[in-house]
Amino acid sequence: MSKVVDEWMGRLKGKLKPVGEMTHWERMAAAFELKPTDMVPVAPELDYWQITYAGYTHPEIYNDVDKTTDACIRTWADLRTDAIWMYVDISHQIEHFIPAEKRPEHFIHRGPNDYLLFKPIAKTLDEAIALYEERTFEKYGPGSRPATHYTPHMLQLLEFQEKMDRVVPIIVGIGTPSNFAETIVEVQKFVRWTITEPKAKLKHYLDLALGERLEALDFYAEHARKNGCEFVCLFGGARTWGPKQLEEFGYADKAFVDKAVKIFPHVFWHICGHNLPQAMEALTRWDGIQAVQYDMPYYSQKLSWPEWFESVARLFAGKRCAMNAPTTQLACHGTAAEVKAMVRQFIECTLPHTTAVIMPGCEIDSFSPLENVKAMIDTAREHRS
Amino acid sequence: MTAQGRDPAEAAGLLARLADLVVAMDVEGVRREAEACLAAGLSPTRVISEGLSAGMRSVGEKFKAGEVYMPEVLVSCDVYYKGLEAVRPHIVPSDGSVSRGKMILGTIHGDIHTVGKDVAVPVFQAAGYDVVDLGVDVSDDAFVDAIQRHRPDVVGLGTYMTSTFMHAGATVETIRRAGLRERVRIICGGPAVDPAAARRMGADDASDDAWEAVGKIGRLVECLRAGAGRRAS
Repeated sequence: MSKVVDEWMGRLKGKLKPVGEMTHWERMAAAFELKPTDMVPVAPELDYWQITYAGYTHPEIYNDVDKTTDACIRTWADLRTDAIWMYVDISHQIEHFIPAEKRPEHFIHRGPNDYLLFKPIAKTLDEAIALYEERTFEKYGPGSRPATHYTPHMLQLLEFQEKMDRVVPIIVGIGTPSNFAETIVEVQKFVRWTITEPKAKLKHYLDLALGERLEALDFYAEHARKNGCEFVCLFGGARTWGPKQLEEFGYADKAFVDKAVKIFPHVFWHICGHNLPQAMEALTRWDGIQAVQYDMPYYSQKLSWPEWFESVARLFAGKRCAMNAPTTQLACHGTAAEVKAMVRQFIECTLPHTTAVIMPGCEIDSFSPLENVKAMIDTAREHRS
Repeated sequence: MTAQGRDPAEAAGLLARLADLVVAMDVEGVRREAEACLAAGLSPTRVISEGLSAGMRSVGEKFKAGEVYMPEVLVSCDVYYKGLEAVRPHIVPSDGSVSRGKMILGTIHGDIHTVGKDVAVPVFQAAGYDVVDLGVDVSDDAFVDAIQRHRPDVVGLGTYMTSTFMHAGATVETIRRAGLRERVRIICGGPAVDPAAARRMGADDASDDAWEAVGKIGRLVECLRAGAGRRAS
């Protein structure tokens, strides 16, 4: 029982007007299951934006779980998107690898309305391996933000989801092995090591990251799934890998997916940046993933946006729900008319082949104008799927 | 007689081997081969432009053709630098090298990723630009100081994350407030940049591809030197 959730229940329960013929939950679930929906679902990843929208600063919510949850629910109550993303920042994911006295060096607020800057924990592959072999994440776990902030926030939102009779799903974000393996050392190092380090040594590191992530899934089964969580975003790393890296090192994420989809009914993959065609194809083969939040075409593809949307939709036909548009950049720096145009373009290119969810490939920036976020939502509401 | 002076075929062979080592990501071989080129009497400028830089151009072509990807490009860049380390001590001011322009480049405050910059700097150097690498997490004021100190033609604002790119506008604004905006052209770079968004933030252009950026930088330098208004690219 949490006070912030109960306050919102008093304001919202039984008082919300329906949006369309389906509930938000039904709409998202249908799109994920490749079934018709009354309108195209819209579920932008509002991470930092919703904090600012709700009138809080980021340093203000950093140590206040109730305010974080309040921001998420307040934003949803106003905008009525088809899902509520739990707020996740890098400290939620990785702070338990760092001793308490060292944490201020690694997490720095970029500004009052801004993201959290993270500095990597290990400089060498040996250091990174040692972090896992010594199980630092257990040693420093108690009192770290995954325990003190991420989990309580997740549980509050799931409590809201259940008390609202599942009218809207909560999206819980979970980092994948490749994401953790890269983040701990910084992506540029890991990517180089795929070529310069002995393969067996790098695979050992990746196996350790996989082991920790599989253990984490046991936690999510106990604390998220048992409290009603059904929609999960797997934050993929491997965004700058080439085909060789996917072939040699993709096994860790695949093993992670195999376990995640046995726990959660609605799993989607987040792959932001320049998407390699081979990575997109792999995501159609990994059983159990229902949807893919994708981003831009790979550099060498040289595709226009409509060409890219259509090629992905054809690839996903009968297999995956496609999630994209507008770009994060356009949502922040474009006009509402441009946002509308790109959302329409995505829908028109996608719906002939598969289902669609309006969800930019990356999070909505804190400084994105409200009218652009509204334009994204309003345009989705115009389209039956 | 040196390879440069007597046997053009031998010189071409040495330089081609050096370029191939950059493509092959051979960090050990590149230093040895660069030294062999110098020992054969080839000028440092030629070793860089026709050997190391030619290798980087080949890497760019292979990247555009989808034959190599970011991991290979990054390691090739490291190999290029290893070769440069061997050649740099031998460079003398009178060896005929001509800079196409001066550029300062850094990853902006709040972003510690080096992926884009690590590719961009050697590609720009290989294309003939004099590049000052300011590093990562560079504050807006540090960009201003660097403009005053180095007097570049072009300022490169590197951003890796989508969220970081959004702050390029603040850096441009700081440069403008310091009264330096009209002295330089500004280009944003990184995987998440967008030219239209960059222009809206007050920069002149943006590119997510270092090889494409070379052309854009060339046009920006031309416009600057011709005294043309901004946004000319």
